[in-house]
Order: sequence, then structure tokens, then C-alpha cells
Amino acid sequence: MENTDSNGICEELIFSRFFNANVKSLRNYLYYKFGNEEKANDVTQESFIKLWENCKNVPIEKAKSYIYTIANNTSLNEIAHQKVVLKYAQSHTQNDRTNLNPEFLIEEEQFKQKLEKAIAGLTEAQRMAFLLHRIEGKKYHEIALILEISVKAVEKRIHGALVTLRTEIEQFK
Amino acid sequence: MEENYELAKWLAGEMTEAELLAFQNTPHYATYAKIADYSSQLKAPDFDSDLLYKNTISNSKKAPKVIPFYQSKWMKIVAIFVVFLGLTLFFRTTVTSTEVAENGKKTSFALPDNSQIVLNSGSEIQYKKWDWNNNRKLDLNGEAYFKVAHGKKFEVNTKLGTVTVLGTQFNVKARDNRFDVTCYEGRVKVIHNQHEVIITKGTSVTFDADTFEKQTIENTKPEWTANQIVFKKETLKHILDELQRQYNCEIVVNAKVNLQLFSGTMPTNDLKTALKIVSSTYHLKISKFETAKVILEDF
Repeated sequence: MENTDSNGICEELIFSRFFNANVKSLRNYLYYKFGNEEKANDVTQESFIKLWENCKNVPIEKAKSYIYTIANNTSLNEIAHQKVVLKYAQSHTQNDRTNLNPEFLIEEEQFKQKLEKAIAGLTEAQRMAFLLHRIEGKKYHEIALILEISVKAVEKRIHGALVTLRTEIEQFK
Repeated sequence: MEENYELAKWLAGEMTEAELLAFQNTPHYATYAKIADYSSQLKAPDFDSDLLYKNTISNSKKAPKVIPFYQSKWMKIVAIFVVFLGLTLFFRTTVTSTEVAENGKKTSFALPDNSQIVLNSGSEIQYKKWDWNNNRKLDLNGEAYFKVAHGKKFEVNTKLGTVTVLGTQFNVKARDNRFDVTCYEGRVKVIHNQHEVIITKGTSVTFDADTFEKQTIENTKPEWTANQIVFKKETLKHILDELQRQYNCEIVVNAKVNLQLFSGTMPTNDLKTALKIVSSTYHLKISKFETAKVILEDF
């Protein structure tokens, strides 16, 4: 790699700014991948450590793809035996629709449970694309960059995820 | 556009109004809408990004910059030094120590228990420093005078026999087949073949091949430690061997074999006088006299 901005990311201030801007999305990305907080945190940390160690060789504009590549490489061996168990923050019912009737609330709660179950049952590829879009609010082309696939492939995965989720949920009815 | 991915298009809000209307009329639309709604409310569990950052900085600083203990250059040098020191100490104590007196020289030294030993010319002593005080044993090849410090059993092994003492002064000479032990103080036990003799102060024993002889002596120290050699009934060959050792020279005799035995004293610091004594006793003449080589012939 050419070294245009020699000290760029080696400056702790720049590094910490980069860290804060990217840590959440990388960590959540890994969380959707593994379904395991601890693993996701570990790999996130490892990726940033590698970046910090190799800061001289990584120009700042490539740092983002660098940490995702490291994260992907680090987790290559892990995927096979990792059983996906997604846990969702319970606080997600932060809605202001408390004025709705209890019956509806129960129904809503049931739907959410079904949805969680269905998401956990998605393939890894579908789950990652879907959650990056829904939770992280990433655009398809951003997801494509992270997953190192084409935008078309992302669309295919999203579509597939939606179909699977819908059939799963309707089955539970 | 493949209609396959229309759901992706819908989710991204990229459907045209007509497409959207058509989609909203499909039976599954309600579920899709709910999925889209609720899934956007989902949240990944929180994590402590500050902690992660701290770990990252501290971990990575440690990893490349702290050189492990054993990789430091100085530590390597120190380690080599310590190993070397340890080995030296180990070998010095467990491996046999050797003291040598070359021909023409005498050596005196002390054992770990401060016993004094004087080695006569052309002699060698081997012993182990390890646990010396409980294991006082040494191997002698040649002649030596011992002033043994009091303590446990002290043993001198030679090819010809063993001398055991408890703390005394004595001289041991083991040359060729002749084994002389002289006691100047205390008691000494001498074992030669099956013979076992205990000699006391002022006595000396000589084992020569099969003969065994006991004598009384006057002096309190071996003569050789005072630059004199005393011969008692010795053959010419033994006398010349001794002179060669003392003076570190070669003595050649071009004469008939003479088996006459000689008793008497010779100096160890005056070769000419010694040779005169030998030549007059055995009727020889000195035909060549150099520092390193002497030739004696029939008179």
C-alpha cells in the first residue's frame, strides 16, 4: 500500500476519531454475523488493534475497508461452529403508542417474538444484509461494500430475507 | 430489472407509485409492512465502546513495543553469563580436578579442607572437590607428601595400593612396581595387594614386586621436599628415572646392566653432583653433559 498520508491514522487523535465513527457499525455488523456479543466485541477490538499496529501502512481512506477485511479474515475460522443466537435489547419497545389497547399490545408483542425467531432462522448472508439495512440504516450500496458483494446481490439477499420472514411469520399464525 | 427483487426495492423506498399500489394490494403486504416496521425498531445490544477503545490502545501499544524479557539483548547476555557461571561452578565442583608437577618441578597445593600436599616431580593427583569433607579420596600417580587436616577418613589411591589415614603427615611414592609409604606423624594404613599394614610415626614401608620391608626413619619430612633424594636399596634404573624426573632431562646409559643396589642421598638442585655420585658408584663416566641430555658410559 502506498503511503500518502504518512502519519495520518497513527495520530492518536485521528485514530480515536476514526474509532468512534466506525466502532459501532463494525461491532454490530459482527454481532449480526455471530449473534454473540462477546465474540463481536473481541473481533472488533482485534480489528482495531491490527489497524493501530499497522497504522503506518494504512492510508486513512482505506482504513474502513481495512478493519472490515481484518474482521472478516479473523472470523473466517469461527463461523463454522458458531451457533447463531440473536439477543435483542429489550428496550426496543420505545414506542409512544402506549395508548393503544392491550389486545393490540399483546398482538404486537407476539409479532415481535415471531420476528426475532424468524430473523434468527435466516441464513447468515440474508440476516446480515437485512439487519444492516433495518437497524444500521445502511444503504444497499454501503452494505455491498461491507460484505464485498455487488448491489444486486444485496438486493437479492434482502428480497430473500423478506420472503423467508414473511412465510415464517405467517406459518406461526 | 428483475421483478425478483421487488421487495428489496420496496424496502429501500424505490418503488414507483404504480408499483407500490399494486404491491399494497397483494395479500402479503400487511405482513411485509409489519416486518419492515418492527424490524426497524430492533436494536443491537449496547456495548462499552470506551472500554473497547482503551483496550485497543493499551493492547496494541503493548504488543509491538514491549520486547519480551528473553528477547532483550541484555537479558541474553546476562543469561549466557549466568549459564556459563553455573556450568563452571558445576564442573569445578563435580568434575575431577587435577594437579600436576611436571618433570623438574614440584607443586604444592591445598585441598578444600586445607590439607597440604606437595607433589614431587613427574607426579599427578586427581580428586573431586564436590563434598570433599565427607569424601576425602584422591588418586595419586607418582610421589607426594601429605599433611592431612584432621577429619574423616582420607584415602590415597595408587595403582599399587591404597593408603588410608585419619589426619597425619605422610609420604606416598608409587613408581613402577615400587610402593613406598612413609609416616611422619600419626598412623597410616597401607593396603598393597592383600597386605594390610599399619605404620606409625617414624616408620616407612616399601613394597617392591613381592618383597616387603619395614624401616624406621629419623627425619620428620621427606627429604625431597628439602631438595634431597634419599635412595634406599634402589636399582640404577630407578635412580636414573628419579633423576630424570627431578632434573627434567634425559639420561642415557651405554653400559652393561648393573643390578647393584644403591643407598644414599643425592641433591635435587645440582645435577652435576648427583651424576658424580651415580657415576662413581656404578663405575661410569660422563661422556656427554648438556642441560637436556646426559650420556653415561662404562668407565
